[in-house]
This record gives sequence, C-alpha cells and structure tokens, in this order.
Amino acid sequence: MNNSTKRSGFDTDLRSLLKHQHRRVYSICRFFTNNYKEHQRLFTDIIAAASQNIRTRRENSDKNILLLRACINMTALHSISQELAPDTDRTLQFKSPDFQKSISGFRETMGELSDYDKFLLFFNFENVATEEIAELTGITPQSRSAQRKKEAITSKKSFNFIPYIKEKLIWS
Amino acid sequence: MELKKLQQQWNSFPEISMEERPVLSSDLEKIVVKNPLSDAFYLRKKIVLRVALISILWLLNGWQLRLQWMTNGRDLPQLIALFGLLSYSAYFHIRLLFFADYPTLLSLPLVTFLGKLETILDKYILSFKIMSWTAGFYILAAIEYLIYRINTDTYDSLSRNDWYKWLILIFLSVSIDILLLNTLIPRYRKLLITVRKYKEGIHAKAQNK
Repeated sequence: MNNSTKRSGFDTDLRSLLKHQHRRVYSICRFFTNNYKEHQRLFTDIIAAASQNIRTRRENSDKNILLLRACINMTALHSISQELAPDTDRTLQFKSPDFQKSISGFRETMGELSDYDKFLLFFNFENVATEEIAELTGITPQSRSAQRKKEAITSKKSFNFIPYIKEKLIWS
Repeated sequence: MELKKLQQQWNSFPEISMEERPVLSSDLEKIVVKNPLSDAFYLRKKIVLRVALISILWLLNGWQLRLQWMTNGRDLPQLIALFGLLSYSAYFHIRLLFFADYPTLLSLPLVTFLGKLETILDKYILSFKIMSWTAGFYILAAIEYLIYRINTDTYDSLSRNDWYKWLILIFLSVSIDILLLNTLIPRYRKLLITVRKYKEGIHAKAQNK
C-alpha cells in the first residue's frame, strides 16, 4: 500500500512538474521545427524523455536540469533525423496564423544559426544560469582544453599499440 | 542578429495558439509512458532478441559439445570454436545492453549523450561481424546435413577433410559479412556518421566561443 501511494504521489508530482514547465518545451520547439506536425511530435518526445529522465533519476539530481537535458538531447536527435532526410520540406507551415506570423519574423531575425548557438539562445531566453549551461551541454572550459590536448597527442603519435587495445576494451 | 529585437519577437509570440496550447492531464498520461527514442536510435529490443537467440544456441551447442566430447566425435574442434564464438557474442551483446542503459541515456549532458550514442552504434555495427561468423557455422552445418541427405559418400569425404570445412566456413562467413555490409549496415553507418558529424559540429562551435 505504501509503495503504491508513494508511486501515485510521485506520478502526480511528475505530471504537475511537466504541466508547470511545458512552456519551456514549447520554447525549444520554436527554434527547431518547421511545421505543426514536427512541432507536436518533438513536443511529445521531449515530454516523454523528461518523464523518463525524472523517473530514473538519482537522489541528488535536479529535476529542472533533467528536463532541460531532455529538451536539448531530443532536439539534437530531431536535427540528426532531419539531416538524414534532406528532401524534407523546410518551409514554415503552422496552423495558427498568429503563430505562423510570429515564428516567421523570429526565424528571419535569427537567420541561419548552428544548433549550438540556438541552444545558447534558448538558455538565454529561459534564464538558465551560465554554470548550468556546462552541466547541460557537457562542455566546460577544462574539457575544451583537454580535447585540444588529446588532439595534439593523437596527431603526434600515428599508431600506439596500448591505447589501441585500451580503446577496444574500454567503451566511452 | 540583434538580441534585443529577438527578445522582443520572442515575447510577442501568442500566449495560446493551436501549436502551443495548455497540456491536459489526460494527454500527459498518454505521453509519459511513451518511449521517446525512435526505432533508429533505440536498439534495445534488437539486442535483447539477439541475446535470447544466442543463449538458446549456446545451450544447444553446449549439449552437442558434451556429446561429441564423450564420443570423441569428428566435429569437436568446430564445436569448440562455435562455443567460444557464442560465448563471446553473448558477452558482447550483454555488455552493449548494459553500456547503453537506455532508461538513463537521455539524462546525460549533450556531448556525453552524443558520444555514448556514437559508441552504441559503432559497437552495434561491429556486432554484425560476430553475427556473420555465427551464421557461417550454422549455414555450414545446414550444408553438411543437406549433403548427408543427398549423398552419404560425399558427406564422409567432407567430414574427413577438416581443411575443406574450415575453408567453406571462412568463405561463407566472409560472404555473409559482405552481404550485411551492403544491405543492413549502410543505414546504421549513415546514422553513425551523422551523429559523429553533429557532435563534432557542436564541439567546433563551442571551441570558437
């Protein structure tokens, strides 16, 4: 009985959080979708991902961070899927005239931006703190310098037997 | 691009529209139980199916190996090799399943998430090689059975010549590998290349900032 009460309480919490935060999900859809169908599909996928993240979260993880991670990860998958289908129509076609007008103006002003820039813009509009951005993207100044260092080492040594075996044994 | 103008346009979006309508509890109930990953990215079912199949084959092979061991049969080296291959295959797929950890995959930071997705796809493509070698063993067994049914003398001559069998096995496995390389693998490879390109694009942009 306790477990079921706890479970239903948890589900209610989750649903109320998602209901409360759903505008954030709509916000990211504005950057990446071109029509009503895509918009609705991405929204549904992000909500499903966020609920999965929150259900399987560890004790110390923040629900809002998990929601934002679901937003950017699912959007990245959406962009990858779009790249795989280059013949898809990219013209903006939304059902509501007001929304169509707003999004057309917004996209025109925004111009052609990379996905990373769009993410940064989204974080800016959603008032995400700078420290949280690194937590969401996984890119920190240290990791950038470490990446450069790694590239320098690999360019120096063309073939190194031990790292080769290490790479085969350890999946990262 | 003017940030101020963008912010103004952002704020001018209609409060409620057909696209951005309030979410109903009944809708949420249906959405929260949905799997967010599409078939292209969600390989769990396929891996689980393979693990189940490999486990059955492993048990059957173990039983056959025991029989051959006790009777000192002719196919012992072949069965030992297949047993080793099936054991490694089971280990590889179970490891991939645990590594992928689909329920927590989407809660990772973007770059880590893309990196993990890349590794999963890379290892899944690699698993086709193991599958083609396993299939080689079973097709050889099927051919042997067929020859046995058609002509017993030919079968006897083939079973006495181990070299021929190993050569047929190599030929079959390589052929299946080539077949998979041209049929099933390209779509996963294309997906892997796109994920890699996307991740590198994110990294390159972040480095320039």
